[in-house]
Amino acid sequence: MSRLAVSTLHDVLRKSFASLESSQKLWISVLAECSLLMVSLGNLAEQWRALCGVRISNTPLRGFPDLENRLRSKLLEATDTVLVKLNEKMFSLQSIRDSISNQVSAVLQLYEQNADSLDLLAVTERSTTTPSVADMLEWLQDAERHYRVQFLRRKTLLQTLRADDLQFLESAPKRWKSLDSPGAQEQITDTLCKVSFFLESR
Amino acid sequence: MIGHPCPGGTVVMSAVRKSSMVTGSGRKIKDNAADWHNLMKRWDKLNDEGFDVATNIVNLRRSQSDHLLLENSSSSSSSSSAQQVGGVSELEDECFKLQEVINKMVAVVTKMEHLMKLQQGIEDLEEFQFKGEGRKAPLFHTWNTKQFGAVSRVLFDSFSEELKLKQTILQELAHTSSSDLCMVYLSSWLHQPFIPTHTRLTLEALLLETGHRPL
Repeated sequence: MSRLAVSTLHDVLRKSFASLESSQKLWISVLAECSLLMVSLGNLAEQWRALCGVRISNTPLRGFPDLENRLRSKLLEATDTVLVKLNEKMFSLQSIRDSISNQVSAVLQLYEQNADSLDLLAVTERSTTTPSVADMLEWLQDAERHYRVQFLRRKTLLQTLRADDLQFLESAPKRWKSLDSPGAQEQITDTLCKVSFFLESR
Repeated sequence: MIGHPCPGGTVVMSAVRKSSMVTGSGRKIKDNAADWHNLMKRWDKLNDEGFDVATNIVNLRRSQSDHLLLENSSSSSSSSSAQQVGGVSELEDECFKLQEVINKMVAVVTKMEHLMKLQQGIEDLEEFQFKGEGRKAPLFHTWNTKQFGAVSRVLFDSFSEELKLKQTILQELAHTSSSDLCMVYLSSWLHQPFIPTHTRLTLEALLLETGHRPL
């Protein structure tokens, strides 16, 4: 009875880890794109700061009386464009988070359904190629928590940013970088290594 | 084919959409629209090129000033003055490159002025042909001939003002010690404050009207 339950669980776990692998690649690539956008935001903040520090009427640009307003308008537009692109990236991260969350819920639900037929030995048994069900469930939950927390933190940061708020814009790239969690990311890579034989077996 | 009813009940066909059949003033206006598009593309390329050169100029100026500060705080040596001479000649080269970019931009704006004058010529001809009453049907979809002239003037004015700004930046960039002002110069070059975003939309509208872009 438990052999069947374990085998069914194994099938769903394989699907989940395969999904985790592709999600991780996508997550890393979307974050890299966000980093580039953050660099652009930093550059724009620098330009804003410089414009605030200059009185155009005291410079050779005084021959262009409406230059300051026009430049402000252009900087606002450019900043807005970057923020819109960042928000679009958030949608991608959200969908990756949702995909992992759904997978993990499905696995846990299946485990709950079969809990009666799964004794302690069945869930803790492991071999050289196959980690235990308990370990695999734990790793999936850890990964799901990481993506859930990461998304929430990054989304919250973005919500503090407005195109006309120089202070927050200037500090944004640094704050964004500080949300990186290389340890947790490495743990997921480690997990995928640990289940690699399991994924290949059938 | 667009049909326009006129008094008497007969339908007058407007200027045909197939480019092979556009002739006369319509042909000239359509060609002008293509020229506007090509000139603006050329301008954009020069703007990017100019921005790279302008950034180099600012960086060279900055490293020169840093060098001077180091020299003043320590005893000068022959190698550091040789480096400074090298830096000055590099700066001169970059300024020369920027001048060349500006010269090409002047050529672009001169051609834009020519397009604007051509358009004025077409309007004057129409004034003469239709004795001030204007055409009964538009040459293309909906615009009357004066609208093409208005668009040309707006585009020319924007680019010509932007060119004046860039010429000022060229004159001042290498002589500016304030890093904020240097940043404002670079920012102005890059973002082109006198060419508002809707200028691009105006060009798209012109291309749509003359059939260069499908409706």
